[in-house]
Amino acid sequence: MIPALAHIPDSTPRRRASRSLARRTADAIGAAVAEVLVNSEVAARPGLLQRIDPRVKLISIVGFAVTASFVHSVSALSAMIVLTLVLAAASRVSPVSFVRKVMASAGLFAVLLAAPAATAWITPGHAALTLGPLTVTSEGLYIAVRLIARVVAGAGFGLLVVWTTRWTDLLRALTAMKMPDLVVATLAMAQQQIMSLLRTVENMHLARESRMLSRGTARENRGWVTERMAFVAKKSFKTADDVYDAMLARGFAGAMPSLVRLKTAPRDWFWLSGCTLTVALLLVADKMGNLR
Amino acid sequence: MHIPDGYLGPQTYAVLDAAIIPAWWVASVKVKKTLKAKQVPLMALAAAFSFVIMMFNVPVIGGSTGHAVGATLIAILLGPWAACIAVSIALVIQALVFGDGGITAIGANCLNMAVIMPFVGFYLYRLVAGNAPRLGRRVAAAGVASYVAIVVASIAAGVEFGLQPLLAHTSGGQPLYAPYPLSVAVPAMAIEHLLFFGFVEAFVTMGIVAVLARQDSALLEMKPAAKPLRWLWAGLAGLVLLTPIGVLAPGTAWGEWGAAELKSTLGFVPAGLQKLGALWTAAIPDYVPPFIANPLVGYVVAALLGSALVIGVTWLIARLLSRKAGDGPSTPAPTAP
Repeated sequence: MIPALAHIPDSTPRRRASRSLARRTADAIGAAVAEVLVNSEVAARPGLLQRIDPRVKLISIVGFAVTASFVHSVSALSAMIVLTLVLAAASRVSPVSFVRKVMASAGLFAVLLAAPAATAWITPGHAALTLGPLTVTSEGLYIAVRLIARVVAGAGFGLLVVWTTRWTDLLRALTAMKMPDLVVATLAMAQQQIMSLLRTVENMHLARESRMLSRGTARENRGWVTERMAFVAKKSFKTADDVYDAMLARGFAGAMPSLVRLKTAPRDWFWLSGCTLTVALLLVADKMGNLR
Repeated sequence: MHIPDGYLGPQTYAVLDAAIIPAWWVASVKVKKTLKAKQVPLMALAAAFSFVIMMFNVPVIGGSTGHAVGATLIAILLGPWAACIAVSIALVIQALVFGDGGITAIGANCLNMAVIMPFVGFYLYRLVAGNAPRLGRRVAAAGVASYVAIVVASIAAGVEFGLQPLLAHTSGGQPLYAPYPLSVAVPAMAIEHLLFFGFVEAFVTMGIVAVLARQDSALLEMKPAAKPLRWLWAGLAGLVLLTPIGVLAPGTAWGEWGAAELKSTLGFVPAGLQKLGALWTAAIPDYVPPFIANPLVGYVVAALLGSALVIGVTWLIARLLSRKAGDGPSTPAPTAP
């Protein structure tokens, strides 16, 4: 269940443009925290990808992301985008939220970055469209669309891992895949501390917002921001000392034995076989030029 | 600077993913040697700090805001190897928990922000700050180091993007990944960091170093690093020797056309350019000193002269800034390597 306080960004009645720096930062941090909570809620739903062994899921989805970098036809990349949408829907992820997140995280930037490549200035070729001094070439358009499709497909697969895997399951998968225990322990602890520090920083900004009658000058705000950053640095190092003392008190002697025991089920092997077949089909079709 | 999936081809990301593993291994050995069992909580908290510092909106000019990466700052506080691990962990969590930055591009992102940035920043900080105990000089050194470090990292990202059309293209020459050549990608990445993000990074690093020096100077005690200046000079010498590679690149960098090239491309030379072009004649045109006939030797000599000039000017600015800032509270001098 997502706590009500995680919805701070959505409940604000103010217009975005009128928000102060402190409020904007607090909202962004609140949104990031809420996103993690939403992800963990989605990851707990009984969907297709949630049922797959985390190791198998990680390998297969990373395999798809790698495949998206090997295929070159727009048709094959489009098929992969459709596949991400199908997998998202089968995993009980709202397709609208999924598309919105993919576009916000990488898609829109890809459109902006790829757009100049469609013009004759960067890619000379046959004119497809002329807008005053600007000429869009068919060759440039294909390059731009291919780049956007590749980025969207890659981001889609990445988000499928993020949205359908609980962080604890991901760490269990990494441990089972022989990642050093100390690395996994550091990752686990870092994620917890990130959430804790984010809350601290959010509260700092909300406290400033509630105390300020005016927005302050840019100079004042810069001074306040750097002072708060320095406070966070000091708090981080102090917390590290406290955490280490607590670990020693509990008998920590430098080793972190793992108790994780993951077992694959027949459905995991079916899934892996299906993924392998799909990847092979995409690569062969792309290679043979059947998809253009 | 977070590179998502899809911009880099397998030839690039596979090499960078493979290259980052030994860097992580060496970093973990170095950190384990100095921090022992304390490394887990300290690295976790440093990674959390690295992540959180990117969430702060820093007001710049005209109401605009920017974000800092903080890699140089963490390198100043913990040393470059620890910073490498901390920033890498933050980047991995950003990719796997927040979907920011690609999964296949983790190696590239870690190389740029967790290796290049902290190492360039840390050694430049040591070079400029020297053993001076004065706060002003150390703050100035932090600013110069973080500014240069983020610009160098952005240039590295630009090179990674710009290599894509050369490494992967169709038989017709169409790029398969990031479509812009080095002559476009490198200036595009460098300019935004030279003009905007570099200042944000420098401001944040200087501000935090100044506050920490006043409030908790023990945090600024330099963590041990193996012969920093020796490695810096060796790296610089290696780069100087590699400069003739630039001769291999055909054509002129985008936007750096001379009058003759414009004449051949456009058919005319803009009047303003013709008028202003003769105002200044470079001492070493085209990076080849006039007294050297061989362009390869000329490139190396130009690189040596340029490096000496940059180091001299940087040192001079740091000296002037530290004098202007006054003595300030004394902070412990960096420990000798």
